[in-house]
Amino acid sequence: MGRKILEVKNVTKTYPGVVALDNVSFDVEEGEILALIGENGAGKSTVIKTIAGAIQPDSGEILIDGKRFTKLTPTQAKEAGIGVVYQELNLVPSLSIMENIFLGDRVGGGRFGPNFREMRRRSEEIMADLGVKIDVSTQVQMLSTAQMQIVEIAKAVVKNCKVLIMDEPSASIPMAEVENMFRIVRRLREKGVAVIYISHRLEELFELCDRVTVFRDGRYVITRNVADITKKDLIRYMIGRELTEKFPERQVTPGEPVLQVRDLTGNGDFHISLELRKGEILGLAGLVGAGRTELAKMLCGDVKPESGQILVRGVPLKAASAADGVKAGIGLVPEDRKLEGVFLNYTIEWNIPVMSLKRVSRFGFMNFRELDRLTNTYVDTLDIKTPSVKQEVRNLSGGNQQKVVVAKVLAAENEILIFDEPTRGIDVGAKQEIYRLMNSLVEQGKSILMISSEMEELLGMSDRIVVLHEGRVTGGLEKDQFSQDKVLELASGITEE
Amino acid sequence: MNRKIVDFGRRNLAWVLLLVICIIFSFTNGNFLTLTNLLNILNQNAYIIISTYGIALIMMSGGLDMAVGYQMSICGVACALMLNAGVPIPVVCLITIALSIAFGALGTLLEQLLKLPRIFVSIGLSTVYQGVAYVITNSKTISGLSAGFKQIGQGTILHPNLTYATIIMILFGIVMSIVMDRTYFGRYVFALGGNEASARLAGINVKRMKYAIGMTAGFFCGVGALVLTSRVGAASAATGAGTEITILTGILVGGVSVRGGDGKIANCIAGVLIMGLLANGMQLAGLNTYYQYIAKGAIMLLVMWFDAFQIKRRALAASKRKEAAA
Repeated sequence: MGRKILEVKNVTKTYPGVVALDNVSFDVEEGEILALIGENGAGKSTVIKTIAGAIQPDSGEILIDGKRFTKLTPTQAKEAGIGVVYQELNLVPSLSIMENIFLGDRVGGGRFGPNFREMRRRSEEIMADLGVKIDVSTQVQMLSTAQMQIVEIAKAVVKNCKVLIMDEPSASIPMAEVENMFRIVRRLREKGVAVIYISHRLEELFELCDRVTVFRDGRYVITRNVADITKKDLIRYMIGRELTEKFPERQVTPGEPVLQVRDLTGNGDFHISLELRKGEILGLAGLVGAGRTELAKMLCGDVKPESGQILVRGVPLKAASAADGVKAGIGLVPEDRKLEGVFLNYTIEWNIPVMSLKRVSRFGFMNFRELDRLTNTYVDTLDIKTPSVKQEVRNLSGGNQQKVVVAKVLAAENEILIFDEPTRGIDVGAKQEIYRLMNSLVEQGKSILMISSEMEELLGMSDRIVVLHEGRVTGGLEKDQFSQDKVLELASGITEE
Repeated sequence: MNRKIVDFGRRNLAWVLLLVICIIFSFTNGNFLTLTNLLNILNQNAYIIISTYGIALIMMSGGLDMAVGYQMSICGVACALMLNAGVPIPVVCLITIALSIAFGALGTLLEQLLKLPRIFVSIGLSTVYQGVAYVITNSKTISGLSAGFKQIGQGTILHPNLTYATIIMILFGIVMSIVMDRTYFGRYVFALGGNEASARLAGINVKRMKYAIGMTAGFFCGVGALVLTSRVGAASAATGAGTEITILTGILVGGVSVRGGDGKIANCIAGVLIMGLLANGMQLAGLNTYYQYIAKGAIMLLVMWFDAFQIKRRALAASKRKEAAA
């Protein structure tokens, strides 16, 4: 095929405690579309950021069109011909399309600002190149998301772009517009641009891409021609390992249903039905954006469903806010613990009882002895490592912060717990502790709905798994049906073959 | 031991500052450190401090309210008009306070409806209140209030300079300190200021809390308006103007962060007293109100800078500690 336009050679990037990229090498050829796939945390975004100059690798080198770099700055990367379209759009809504395309660029070298005639001419040229008919003086805020993405692409390719990197481009636009985006990408390929296309949707890459490179755990796995590989193979390469972590055993038989969801629609989810039994861990699987967190927000009362029913121990939940969810005994351990879970600036002893304050108050006055008791009990049982309960939560490690969130929810005597990505961003040791804790909770008769993007965690911890895809349930798996392939197939929207 | 004193001083910086200013003033003015003068200062600032209790709550919960000045004007004017119309004093007091509570609720209502931060809503409302106050008074001062009503701000007890207004101020100060320290309501206020999303998911009814806070602020603004009107013995559309800046600056001097989530009522009292003393001192030195505006504005900028600096310093210290731990 074509000439190698981008070569990544032996790139390693470590963060304290994590190897994000481990001696990674791959290349992209002129005029091809290379798919880059892998699970969450496989190192895809780290490698993109390295190529785009957003982060500097510890070792290794990057060759762009023969030019050798050991580290890149964003400006160098741009000048060398790297263009990036990120998942979230970065446009100035109040400016026109052409002003956005040439943002920060003095087009035509006007002394008192840009030469607008030149700007318009070149913008129209680019749009014609992409095969898009649009008035380049339109304000960006008047555009649809799909059109905004086209402007992003134009912005990325405007300066002699040799390699265009697209991070989950189909995630932010409607399905109907994806085909049009493909057309533009193919057009760029015809012009000799190399495209690195990142997506969770495997079916897309079979339609669009020439080759596919798989990453796993910060390591390069394999590169194959798309024509020579099946979806099943790809999934195997993506996970490709037996469960290495040991998940502690637990002795508990799930009992009667405590939470029943019937035909629930709202917040981007459609007709969701599921059932959580007493003493059970129900895994909720799906890709990022499948609507799992959105479901959790409805179940805890934070977001009102449009239709359908939530039954807590047979009683319909009529929640106007999360306060009512908590009253019904549903506690959420949110996905983003810093933004939604803890009060970073306050102490541990302030955080742990915060959901229980009303319960331990008489005539509005708090019982401080009871507050201390709650704090000490949960610092002990969850083994929160801190020199003092007067320590501000912001000073704790991620794992200990997560434990504070869990302690907060437990202290409120919630019986139904929703864990949204319970072990995200915490180290292996703390993960084990969280798992053991979840086990002891269900053994005590509590019920857990666990949202997770980590395959091992889902398979190792759940009694049953329900899989979502684009806001709908695509399937449920009993323990004896558990398999990684099955979960991934359901998560990518393949129902029955 | 030494460290404990330093820590105590740091936690009560506003009181330390107040003490220093008092010592300086006592040297420059022989009459300063007399009971009569000190009680006079308390009496002069009583209405501001009473209103501060409410605004402090709003700021601790992460909001900012700039409408309190003209809200006080409207309430004072309404109170004076009712009195002169012959409405009984207790009824006038109740209606004035109820009116102010309604204004507080209106602030929260608009905040929720328009989905805007309270500061923007309150700036808009402030201008509306100003207009309304001038319209209903025809830009005139309403005086000739009944002697009975003037007793609130002028009547004394135990000492010829200890007014009922001062007593009211002290009592509410104690009540609010206890509320903030010992009740779950107080913690909820700090929860809102600390992290509203976390507070919401922790099952705190954020909407209801915001109404409660807005209405509490309204209550204290109403009481403040009564005290002020009674002490001055008259009301006009301009009576409350500018109070919001004094209160805001006083609260910031008292150590409440603009970002909310921290602070003590007692320190806010000290903060407002510092502002009052400085104004008083400048007056004695022959510098009129306009010079005082210059000083107030400068102090406000200074404390806001200090606040921002503290926030940055704390964040930096936390990230360093974490790096060391990793």
